[in-house]
Amino acid sequence: MDRFGGAPLKGVFIVDLTNYWAGPHAVRIMADFGAEVVKVEYVKRLCVLRGAKKDNKAYDKHPMWHQVNRNRYSVTLDLKEDRDREAFKDLIRRADVVVDNFRGGFLDSIGLGYNDLVKIKPDLIMVSMSAFGDTGPYRSYSGVGGSIEAVSGIQSLTGYEKDGKRLRIREMDVLAGVAGACAIMTALMHRQRTGEGQKVDLSQMEAATHTLIGEHLLEYVMNGSVDLPKANRHRRFAPHGCYRCKDDDKWVAVAVRSDAEWQRFCDVLEHPELKDDRRFADRASRLRNHGLLDELIEKWTIRHTHIDVMQKLQDAGIPAGAVLNVAEISEDPHLKERGFFLPDPDGGARLFPGCPFRMSGWSGEVRRRGPDLGEHNRYVFMELLGRSEGEVPEVKEEEIGTGYDPE
Amino acid sequence: MTEGALSGLRVIDLTHYIAGPYCTKLMAGFGAEVIKVELPGRGDMTRSMGPFYKAEAGIERSIPFLWLNTGKKSITLNIKSSKGREILKDIIREADVLVENFSPSFLPSLNLDYETLRELNPRLVMTSISNFGQTGPYRNYEAEEIVEYALSGGMYLTGDPAKAPLNAGPAVTQYTAGLNAYVGTLMALFRRGNNGMGAHVDVSIQESALDNIEISLVNYLHLGVLAKRTNDRHSMVPWELYPCSDGEVAVISAPIRYWHRAAEVLDEPALFDKKYRHCMDRRKYREEYEALLKKCLKKYRKKELSRAGQEKKLAFGYLADFDDVLESPQLRSRKFFEEVTHPVTGSHRYCGAPYKMSKTPWRHARAPLLGEHNFTVYGKMLGLSMEELEQLKKEGVI
Repeated sequence: MDRFGGAPLKGVFIVDLTNYWAGPHAVRIMADFGAEVVKVEYVKRLCVLRGAKKDNKAYDKHPMWHQVNRNRYSVTLDLKEDRDREAFKDLIRRADVVVDNFRGGFLDSIGLGYNDLVKIKPDLIMVSMSAFGDTGPYRSYSGVGGSIEAVSGIQSLTGYEKDGKRLRIREMDVLAGVAGACAIMTALMHRQRTGEGQKVDLSQMEAATHTLIGEHLLEYVMNGSVDLPKANRHRRFAPHGCYRCKDDDKWVAVAVRSDAEWQRFCDVLEHPELKDDRRFADRASRLRNHGLLDELIEKWTIRHTHIDVMQKLQDAGIPAGAVLNVAEISEDPHLKERGFFLPDPDGGARLFPGCPFRMSGWSGEVRRRGPDLGEHNRYVFMELLGRSEGEVPEVKEEEIGTGYDPE
Repeated sequence: MTEGALSGLRVIDLTHYIAGPYCTKLMAGFGAEVIKVELPGRGDMTRSMGPFYKAEAGIERSIPFLWLNTGKKSITLNIKSSKGREILKDIIREADVLVENFSPSFLPSLNLDYETLRELNPRLVMTSISNFGQTGPYRNYEAEEIVEYALSGGMYLTGDPAKAPLNAGPAVTQYTAGLNAYVGTLMALFRRGNNGMGAHVDVSIQESALDNIEISLVNYLHLGVLAKRTNDRHSMVPWELYPCSDGEVAVISAPIRYWHRAAEVLDEPALFDKKYRHCMDRRKYREEYEALLKKCLKKYRKKELSRAGQEKKLAFGYLADFDDVLESPQLRSRKFFEEVTHPVTGSHRYCGAPYKMSKTPWRHARAPLLGEHNFTVYGKMLGLSMEELEQLKKEGVI
């Protein structure tokens, strides 16, 4: 503990009913910053991140599970069974926040919606992150990143050609997840000041739309058109693109924003004569002759590694970045020096991706990997809920179903 | 009117461009008083960048600016001048939060680093958003969206393996950072509510955006698996956009356990043969399975098929254009769009709240004109007289 007071969410208790990626990601951010989280799992249908296999407890061994569901306890409950419902309600009695990403209306239909839970915990915060929201004609629709990205119009903005195939970007679930974290924190701030809890209805489609394309929708409303997709080019900057470098599948992204940057770029390119070339004299002419520029640039980049190109251009104050793959990111000297990667709490050499921000007195931590199935049944029932040993749920292997089996 | 969730908080907004302004837009929307500090005469550089309303340039006509600054107050102040700096310090003394996204060396060069400001106001939460964070060898690197997308691993995974990696259309890394900066700021405020102490929050756009590939990254770190771009070929089948009679339909076998219900929607029994019953079987026979599916999809329209799939509880969708989005019955029913009126551009539909809170409202408001709140802030909050304001204006301080 230092002068700033350590983990910001110390003492906040969250019940996590989420599955897939978006909901668990929202809760991960809270857990990384000190919240105590109990994840409620359904043995008969495990979260998709626990994978498709049951042999040798494969569902406890996936790195994606360890990452996205880290820093929480696992308790197995069947919310349709009376005995487990009582235990769940006891968890809610001590909870500050409950988060779910069921279809809109599901929890209400089993008598565990906000209106039911608020009766047992009047200042409860409930954040429901359904695909399309708790109301409206799509309320019971389900959605994954691939459907939400398409239906929201987000996917219509990315592609290699104006009229060609539209491609997905990285990453709908995470954006909706961070928006979920925003919702939790907004509600916690209000409760800290007023003592009042509330329900937050987060439609993943709306959150992603707001975040990514609010400006583009407004452009469409105001001007009747949107100037995307543009592949790797830019509306105002030229040259702006992704260029092939030395070695297989190595690329660099470059953005030249001004005439001054262009002049410096010509020097780095070892073609100072281009500074006086009228075809590239200003932004408008460079935009017009972009194809020609691309050829000239790639003739140079192909002779260098993507890291070298980045460094040469950055040394000249020009925005450039190597297109890094995950192997390169894991070795990136900048991220290493900043201590981005976090050690495995169980020891060993493996590292975890770190946190999206840091603050005085706290940079986030991995206290434990995503838990084994029901790993904390005992802890939750006996320590947290004060039940007897005989009431601790048992995970029966033969009852386990994965999220991949046909019904 | 009921108060917003963040009402009572005063935020000094020294941000420009996208990530910072989006963070403070959310704060304003949820009820905080956000005072945006802009350069006299020009303002936030986004005011001069466009695209502009009706394609006519003007500092009150920039569409991204109008979107990113709703609900804020605007004052003009040249913080490079010594008088401007003193005024800024006076404002910061009265503030809860300062958000900035200058390059990491800029505010320290003006003696406005966190340690200095903390002495002025120990309760201050200062949030610094930057391209690569406040420390580390890339801290002074220049960046634009495409550079951040490249260095945060998203770009390598976007697009066709036979072509160059593809930039995202929307500014995904900067918006991700804006959201994360909002979360980080509120966490620091929440801790302050318990212990009375402010904090400095360091948000790196690169690190924020790395969360977007957390699964690919951990799979490399722990299993040595190197993720590549796939032209949107998903590990599950079917799970992508396919052409149909009038566009592209998202035929997605989620929840995976329900896929066989699509038999009631898709008129091709072969797709539901025992051979393809388990998702691992469909993956194994991907080519032939997708060929069957594509052939069958030619007779369907995107919206009808999407709805039919959803009625069987499947996560179908379709590739919407912006007309589809603006007319979406779901968004209309939920009043996602709100009419916002601006003195220069008039009345238009903006996206409203990013999520709906049952007890605290979203603030429906427009972006401010440059310096619109100079009088309110300098006069009422700092008690400067009209003469003093005139003098400061003459000197180019405000």
